[in-house]
Amino acid sequence: MKEDKMFQDRRARINELRAKNERMTCRERALMGVKHQEPDRVPIDNWMVPEIQKKTTEYFGCDSYDELLGFLGIDFRNNYGPSYVGQSFKKHPDGTVEDLWGVKRKTVVYGKGTAHQGSYSEVAESPLEKLKTLEEIKKYDHWASPEWWDYSKVKADCMVYHPKYCVINVGDRLDRTSQLKPMMYLRGMQQIFIDMVMNPAIVEFIRDRIIEYFVAYNHRVFKSVEGEIDIFMMGDDIGGQTGPMLSLDMWRKYFKKAFKTYIDIAHQYRIPVMYHSCGDVKQFIPDFIECGLDILQSCQPKATNMDIKKLKQEFGKDITFQGGMDIQHVLPLGKPEDVKAMAKYALDSAKKGGGYIICTAHNIQIDTPIENVVALFEAYHEYGNY
Amino acid sequence: MDILTSIEEAVLKGKFDEVKNLTQQALDQKIPPNDILNKGLIQGLEKVGKLFECQEIFVPELLMAGMAMKEALTILRPILEKSDIPPVGKLVIGTVEGDVHDIGKNIVSMIFSGSGFQVTDLGIDVSAQKFVETVEKEKPDVLALSSLYTPTRLAMNDVMRLLKEKNLRNQVKVIIGGAPIDQNFADMIGADGFAPDPPSAVRKVMGWLGK
Repeated sequence: MKEDKMFQDRRARINELRAKNERMTCRERALMGVKHQEPDRVPIDNWMVPEIQKKTTEYFGCDSYDELLGFLGIDFRNNYGPSYVGQSFKKHPDGTVEDLWGVKRKTVVYGKGTAHQGSYSEVAESPLEKLKTLEEIKKYDHWASPEWWDYSKVKADCMVYHPKYCVINVGDRLDRTSQLKPMMYLRGMQQIFIDMVMNPAIVEFIRDRIIEYFVAYNHRVFKSVEGEIDIFMMGDDIGGQTGPMLSLDMWRKYFKKAFKTYIDIAHQYRIPVMYHSCGDVKQFIPDFIECGLDILQSCQPKATNMDIKKLKQEFGKDITFQGGMDIQHVLPLGKPEDVKAMAKYALDSAKKGGGYIICTAHNIQIDTPIENVVALFEAYHEYGNY
Repeated sequence: MDILTSIEEAVLKGKFDEVKNLTQQALDQKIPPNDILNKGLIQGLEKVGKLFECQEIFVPELLMAGMAMKEALTILRPILEKSDIPPVGKLVIGTVEGDVHDIGKNIVSMIFSGSGFQVTDLGIDVSAQKFVETVEKEKPDVLALSSLYTPTRLAMNDVMRLLKEKNLRNQVKVIIGGAPIDQNFADMIGADGFAPDPPSAVRKVMGWLGK
């Protein structure tokens, strides 16, 4: 931590608010929140793209991202699961690299030559997209295997953060426990949506390979950590900006069963489950609750039907919400006072009785001014106390 | 049920083989191709749009309807062109530089095409220069830009800037869309408008063209 006056001044407000509000460890606070109890203040989680992590770390004079998380009062720490020890990912002459599922990926740079330059790893080619029949798809030989991972160090990785912090087993953005996402990568988003109408047998075949993998993988992860994971996170985007991407009937037909299986496995190990989906998923929430989901992540406020106040009123007694802070408009384009007003609205609407973890609806993106990032974290501490 | 109503129904249900067959049958019955388009196919597409907007159907069904239209147009388009029936309008569309997401853009493209537009789809990760060169060459009525991420939407601004630099801004209407786009952003970069979904994009553009 840099102690120059400038950095001390930048940290002063958050330090002052935290000293006033906090009376327990991060883990105690987080787990109380999930259990619908009121701790000292609303638990805080943090999602940022790496470029914003770096910028914010530097702004506050912290020496590492981990130190930044400590200073900001982030109650959760991510565990990325076992280490990959399978065959090295195949590199192709065109610069693409195959991922866990044999999907070719490439790095796509955006904002070239500007202050907001960044990159994402994107699908370059979906290996099953052009195949016409189930028989052809059955010949595919690059399904991921739980044997490709070394599970022996996950427990120690989690223990580093205990007892102080609440550990979420998040997986990687591209390999997080899911059903539809790898299907989109393997078959192409457009084709898998068409298959859902035209070729149910293809959907079911691909889906079942993915489920088999995650069921075996998660059992091994949970067994290996012997209680050191506090929350398990899975994610599958089924919501769009103006409504769900697929109907509730279709979700029930193809995805509900394994959604519950994934939750049941974590619950066998007494681990609560958080599920991420962007967009409008309101219609699905009663089914999520029925399947035993503990925490719904994202609560993307600019998507239709996802206003945190209404979600809390309608479903708050049965499920915990995580998210609610808008990264699409308010954070990149608004003023610090808009950011503060947004955080105050969410906290005033959702904190009562616990069951709310404040966080951005997705990663804070690179186009967000630092003063808005600062306003966000100050507001969390300003309005989050019970 | 007359054949145009059957075509409308088949579009609504996204049955693309049926739409194609019925379109061929209608042509065999000497129904004017423009009637097949306007009184059959487009009627179906408009109903699909309304169902999508009130969340009764979703992306898979919208995609199926768009593809059904595309199939029918493979037969109908050459005949319309031969009969000197002009397209409803010309549209150039693409996902902006740095962004490779295209399902929304593809549906918009299909639906404009199905609504009688001549569509030039430039694909994904399209540079501002490529957009502007195409506008210069093809002189479309409308340029449609798409993005999924917030940082990539900033590339839309580069397109607007280059259009102005090349004195092309007044010759083309610009519509923008994608998850992070709203009216405020359209105003910020000086686009003519935004649409939250494919059906409303078609409605907005039709309004601009006085159709």
